[in-house]
Amino acid sequence: MLPKFSHVRPDSLRKALSFLDENEARIHGGGTDLIGCLRDRIFTTETVVSLSAINELRGIEPTADGGLRLGATATIAEIAENPTVVAGYGALADAAGVVASPQLRNQGTIAGNLCQKPRCWYYRGDFNCLRKGGEICYAYEGENQQHCIFGGDTCFIVHPSDTAPALAAHGAVCRVSSPSASRSVAVEALHVPPSVDPRRETVLEDDEIITEILIPKPPAGLRASYRKVRDRASWDFALAGVALALVFDGDTVASARVFLSGAAPVPWRAVGVEKAIIGTELDNATIDAAALATVDGAEPLAKNGYKIELFKGLMTEQLEAIRS
Amino acid sequence: MSDEHAYHIDGAVPETPENDPDSGAWRKTVVVGTRQPKIDAYERVSGTAVYPHDVSLPDMLHGAILRCPHAHARILSIDTTEAEKMPGVEAVITSKSPGADIPWYERGGQFYGKLFDDHCRHEGEEVAAVAAETPLQAVDAIRAIKVEYEVLPFVVDDDKALLPDAPAVQEGGNMMGEPSVRERGDLAAGFAAADVIVESTYSTSCQIHAPLEPHGSVAKWDGNKLTVWDTTQGVFGVQQTMAKVFGLPISSVRVIGHYMGGGFGAKLETGKYTVMAAIMSRMAARPVKLFLPREDCFTVTGNRPGNTMTVKIGAKSDGTLTAIDYHSHGSAGAYRYGAGTSAQAAYLYTCPNMRTEDVSVYTHTGKARPMRAPGFPQCSWSLEQTMDELAAKLGMDPVEFRLQNLLTELQRGDGMPFTSNQLAACLTEGAKAFGWEEAKKAEKQQGHLRRGVGAAASFWAYPGGPPSTVVVKLFADGSANLNMGASDIGTGTKTWAAMIVAEELGVPVEKILVEHADTATTQYATASGGSKTVPSDSPAVRAAAMDVKQQLLGFAAEQLETTPGDLKLENLEIVSRTDPEKNLALGEVERLNRRGLLMGTGYRDPNPEDKVTFPFAAQFCEVEVNTRTGEIRILRFLGAHDSGRVLNRLTFDNQVFGGMAMGIGLGVTEERVLDRSQTGKMVNANFHDYKIPTILDVADTHVCHPIDQPDNEFNNTGTKGLGEPATIPTAAAIGNAVADALGTHAVNAPLTPEKILEVLRTQEMEA
Repeated sequence: MLPKFSHVRPDSLRKALSFLDENEARIHGGGTDLIGCLRDRIFTTETVVSLSAINELRGIEPTADGGLRLGATATIAEIAENPTVVAGYGALADAAGVVASPQLRNQGTIAGNLCQKPRCWYYRGDFNCLRKGGEICYAYEGENQQHCIFGGDTCFIVHPSDTAPALAAHGAVCRVSSPSASRSVAVEALHVPPSVDPRRETVLEDDEIITEILIPKPPAGLRASYRKVRDRASWDFALAGVALALVFDGDTVASARVFLSGAAPVPWRAVGVEKAIIGTELDNATIDAAALATVDGAEPLAKNGYKIELFKGLMTEQLEAIRS
Repeated sequence: MSDEHAYHIDGAVPETPENDPDSGAWRKTVVVGTRQPKIDAYERVSGTAVYPHDVSLPDMLHGAILRCPHAHARILSIDTTEAEKMPGVEAVITSKSPGADIPWYERGGQFYGKLFDDHCRHEGEEVAAVAAETPLQAVDAIRAIKVEYEVLPFVVDDDKALLPDAPAVQEGGNMMGEPSVRERGDLAAGFAAADVIVESTYSTSCQIHAPLEPHGSVAKWDGNKLTVWDTTQGVFGVQQTMAKVFGLPISSVRVIGHYMGGGFGAKLETGKYTVMAAIMSRMAARPVKLFLPREDCFTVTGNRPGNTMTVKIGAKSDGTLTAIDYHSHGSAGAYRYGAGTSAQAAYLYTCPNMRTEDVSVYTHTGKARPMRAPGFPQCSWSLEQTMDELAAKLGMDPVEFRLQNLLTELQRGDGMPFTSNQLAACLTEGAKAFGWEEAKKAEKQQGHLRRGVGAAASFWAYPGGPPSTVVVKLFADGSANLNMGASDIGTGTKTWAAMIVAEELGVPVEKILVEHADTATTQYATASGGSKTVPSDSPAVRAAAMDVKQQLLGFAAEQLETTPGDLKLENLEIVSRTDPEKNLALGEVERLNRRGLLMGTGYRDPNPEDKVTFPFAAQFCEVEVNTRTGEIRILRFLGAHDSGRVLNRLTFDNQVFGGMAMGIGLGVTEERVLDRSQTGKMVNANFHDYKIPTILDVADTHVCHPIDQPDNEFNNTGTKGLGEPATIPTAAAIGNAVADALGTHAVNAPLTPEKILEVLRTQEMEA
């Protein structure tokens, strides 16, 4: 059952921001996560601020510098099938195409996908866990087969977004507005690890909204992909995912940005993999080294040790695929 | 055969008389066997079908149930004062309320709990219930009830339940009765005579029914008469339980269950929620609707127990089986209900020496309920994979190995013959249609992807039979009513029933209106479970239609001055076999016109004595395994089914496809996850985390290959059951296909990437 709340549908960003001062206001993009969170009593609210009537937050269009602007309320489905995205931003296109299910992709927005709450079953369930204000992370000693192998610290969630690691790999930046100011936050710096604060997921303040996401122009020689492994073929979050954005000079990897999903409480940059592959032609020995580097420093819990093999296997598969 | 209590029927089952005369088998059919869309498809698709969940009555209140959040606790106090004062609240009940102190969970004459039990033995046990003007008010009110619990130690792992220091679930220890044992021959001698022996341990996980329509009821009193709209597989059992609980004459309770959004066995027994709705409805003197939220449908409305099964099989080097030793262990939850699995291990293959043992234990988890072939898919998972292991050791093709050892009679006592047994045809025709030989020869490896094929054989042991009573009314205008008590649980019961009437009388299907599943207006039928609705009720439908036909031909014979035996009914026209000039259109039969209608009654005749009836099946599948990530892709599936005559090919196919999808869930994606070490609570009681297969998880190609051989010795329609057989061998076939791809069996279902990676890693370490 949902709590009682008032629902406002302002037609401008300025008006929307003015509502955010109100008690526990919550933003309604596509509502796919909001409804679940309210029903599961993850949080409550008295005012739901819909962004659906705000034209300036919509759209997918090229920017003056050859990049791409994703309006905050562009849907995942719109992004997945956008010809510019498909042609130039392979990791994002792949990621958007495997989010949740067709219904959820039609409804969910890109900013909502970046800001969604964790899917940890203790957090979503009837457990007063650390992230919800309780004392302990139940996953640490409990059923942690889906949980993180990097960056756990005090809370062992994995970040649920597929598009976040892809956007981070593409070097995307969020534009953020509050009633008093606006600022830019790189997607790779958007999320907060538990070591900083186990009770928040993003650096956004309560009165801030992501208004758009800007992706730089795809460099010449860019090959990018995203792939996730999951327990079922649709409507499922990543057990492990790999976003690759590799810039090739001929057959040589000139630069690389590699992010993992299903690995850590935030989209996890695999710096070791980047180091292992830059300057190489992705020969088999390099790929073997990169696979090992993927899990270097991982700290699996009692039930998620399989993720070590899984990430190694997935990285190998994905590097082989992008090489050819 | 199977657990005889698996399909417990609430209340008495009336005997029915035999038909007179015996109807004989169909020789040729024109409607039966075709592809007939469901006669209620429009209602179901357009939303005009009123499911119990859709029922809305004037002045209706909405109920909600407060449940224990702990795996094991004792209620020290309940304070409902605040809840009772809340706006809109019209009734609040607990164990202390008048009429609510009711024993519950009966088994063999003994009760194991109560409607509201102060001793809560699993997460979700009922603590209190509220009825209020709106659903929100009801939920607010249950949240306002203050309960003080003494939280007690729990055990939710069935392998820990029998340890000496395990917390007791029921008095008398956590062993649920004595182990159930079947024996034949001399096991030791059988293994001594074997040239090859394989022993393996397999396990399955607890699977949840997860019907789309949640469990629930609407209850309404009219003086001392009670009407219940219930999402149930059988209205008559609910009627009798409610009459007993409220001390009413059975005739004063009306239960209606016209549509039902999925049950799979979970809706065979009367729900506590039904009783609570009725108690609160009487208190408030208003109708009460009480449907469970989704979470409760995971924790308290039944499941298929997870089992651990150790199978040891011996064979001669020529492939002849010499001994089968089978041990199964599982938990059916906190209340008595068997977790046995062993029937197929005992009887699927001809083997002189056999022993099976089923151990069921209590744990602090929700009680199991029958789930689509209770115990059988689990047994199949272990038995059929062990058979493949043995075939590999013997160097034999798995299909050939099975064919060599198939059952030819039921090896019980001196042996019992079958009324029909097409299992060999299921295997041979299925293998041919699947392209088994070619698939076995094809290249397995493609980069890091490996392909494999697997097969599994099975039987189902619940044949169905009397009682069933059906009434058919033929109107003078050539339309008909069909009146039967059976619930159509989404499988197309109404449609095949109309097809049978159409076959016998020539009335087009669209001119037949089916009345069903209403205790006040339709005839007694047992619940739709056990895959027995077709074999139990279709013969009565046919007998009723034939009764009408006999009467009609009698009237026409008088009018045409001939004998009924000289006449035949074709396309609603009565024609003499000897003199085609003698004929009457239906509307010309004078006595029918005077009466307006003809009413016929049909019964289900007894099953043949000294013979047994099983449906049989073999399924085949091809999978692709990603050896880097452990992902399985199911490429194609074929089900070859001996369920006797096919009544409606369309719904027959769909039963098989649905059974396969559910079996894919058991084998690959579905698993109840409990917080074993900390709280004992279920952590994935939602559709995100409890992973029912999506359309992308089932095979690209599903093929249904009916053997379609009428079993005319069994009943007058030649039919056997299908709903459960369709899911029995599915997971095992996947397991065998994965083993064919990898060279090793992954023993613990579901085969998630984690399990496959574990197999690959073990292989790597051994290499």
